[in-house]
Amino acid sequence: MSLSLLFKDELKGFYKSKVMIFLWVGIPLMTVLLRLWSPETGEDIPFTALSAIIVSSIGGTLGAVMLTVSIVNEKTQHVYDLFLIRPIKRRNLIISKFFAVYTCIVIASVLALSLGLAIDYFSMGGPPEVVLENTLGLLALSLSMMVVSSSAGVLIGVAAPSVLVGAILVIYGGNQISALPMLPTMLNISNQVLFTIILGVVLSSILLSTAVFLFNKKQF
Amino acid sequence: MTMSDKRKGLVVLEGISKRYKDLLALDNVSFEIEEGEIFGYIGPNGAGKTTTIKIMVGLLSQSQGTLYIGGHPMPEGRGEVHKMLGYLPQDVAFQEWRTVDHALSTFGRLSGLEKNELEHRIKDVLDLVDLSDVRHKKIAELSGGMTQKVGLAQALLHNPELLVLDEPLAGLDPASRYEVKKIIKDLSKRGTTVFFSSHILSDVQDIATKIGILNRGCIMQVGTLDELKSHFPITNDIDIVLSRDSGRWKKLKSLKGVKSLEQPAPNRLLVHLDSEADINKTIHNLIQGLMKLNCRIRSFAPVSPSLDQVYLQYIEGG
Repeated sequence: MSLSLLFKDELKGFYKSKVMIFLWVGIPLMTVLLRLWSPETGEDIPFTALSAIIVSSIGGTLGAVMLTVSIVNEKTQHVYDLFLIRPIKRRNLIISKFFAVYTCIVIASVLALSLGLAIDYFSMGGPPEVVLENTLGLLALSLSMMVVSSSAGVLIGVAAPSVLVGAILVIYGGNQISALPMLPTMLNISNQVLFTIILGVVLSSILLSTAVFLFNKKQF
Repeated sequence: MTMSDKRKGLVVLEGISKRYKDLLALDNVSFEIEEGEIFGYIGPNGAGKTTTIKIMVGLLSQSQGTLYIGGHPMPEGRGEVHKMLGYLPQDVAFQEWRTVDHALSTFGRLSGLEKNELEHRIKDVLDLVDLSDVRHKKIAELSGGMTQKVGLAQALLHNPELLVLDEPLAGLDPASRYEVKKIIKDLSKRGTTVFFSSHILSDVQDIATKIGILNRGCIMQVGTLDELKSHFPITNDIDIVLSRDSGRWKKLKSLKGVKSLEQPAPNRLLVHLDSEADINKTIHNLIQGLMKLNCRIRSFAPVSPSLDQVYLQYIEGG
């Protein structure tokens, strides 16, 4: 019960603090602006492909930074004290935050890709068939990279002593770890999408379990 | 039979120590708090008051010793303890986007209140702490004192059996301090056990039924104010209020057993006696002397040490 309550509470927080608007409008808007202001990308590159590239490159970083900064801030300001003295499981606090951030980023990514598809449809009569076929794979790769970097963001947030250290660690480590789900696409194996998803889920579970272990041990 | 059944106390600390690397923050702290008591916890800055409180509420683990709350060992039984606990931290903090109403709704639900009872409980506690008119304001926009009251409201929301308050009166104006002290007393009358720390000794003296003095991580003394006072000799001062002052009382300086006299206010005398004086005899001679010198006595009382004096004796003498 407390997990769903905390999840809704986090989402409400993102809504009230305008985080949602910046994500949901920001990521699709960035794809449009990049397209308009970077003529070298050329009109021959479908918008859908461009959106997928942007989403996968910044979505994960955004998720990791959001989680790290938010957890370190709330930890150092003792915001958690009032939650931790209530009859709830400690792990639910950070897991709910992870799911809330991930949900927001997934929605932002889907919005950006949908916008890409819509623009391609109206400007080119639809994206090239090959792009359309790859969209699902690109989306799976993007979401897998995002789930890993978001989990890394949680772990760094729990472990880092300050926002600055957290931000440095996210930039050093979070991004590199989030590239691991790309391994199946580099190796010539069949079912690349499936392996990408499995790898993302496994890595994310390991990172989140470690974060939960540390959070449970933490002295406030 | 649980530890608490055996020991009667709702809260039982036995030999609690807390070590941070080289620093021994708490050293063998033991005391009990019985149901319905208001336990005032005092000590200088850095004495270990907040560390004790954080161990009690399960935010920290002790390095040594046992702690039972309502018969449940801590920190192992914190799931059960947290159902009966209300806590106000020293520097209460909320996410900046939260309104008062939203904070109380979330904490109420997390404490197990159902949606239908939540609404009237929020209204009740906001009325109690006089914050009804800021219910829909962001907490970040409130003053420090008001934020402290929101902290108190969230601690009271679910009618906890045990209320642990870390410096609840700090940062409040005199009227709010009076209100909060009244709330604490009323809760105690209804059976709530209250543990609070404070450095405002007059407030502790006003409301605490039992006082614990902590210094450098060690418990110096625990007891009622009278019990704490009884560990020191009654001060050899006598406070006399005169209804008629002839001004001739200065002659009493030569009386045997009288060390000095002073007049802190019109019609009021403070007589300092020699430490080795026979108090009963000297008092008798003083009364007779004043009457002979045409002074009329309205009241005559040995000066009782204040909590401040008792505290200083323990802290400086300890």
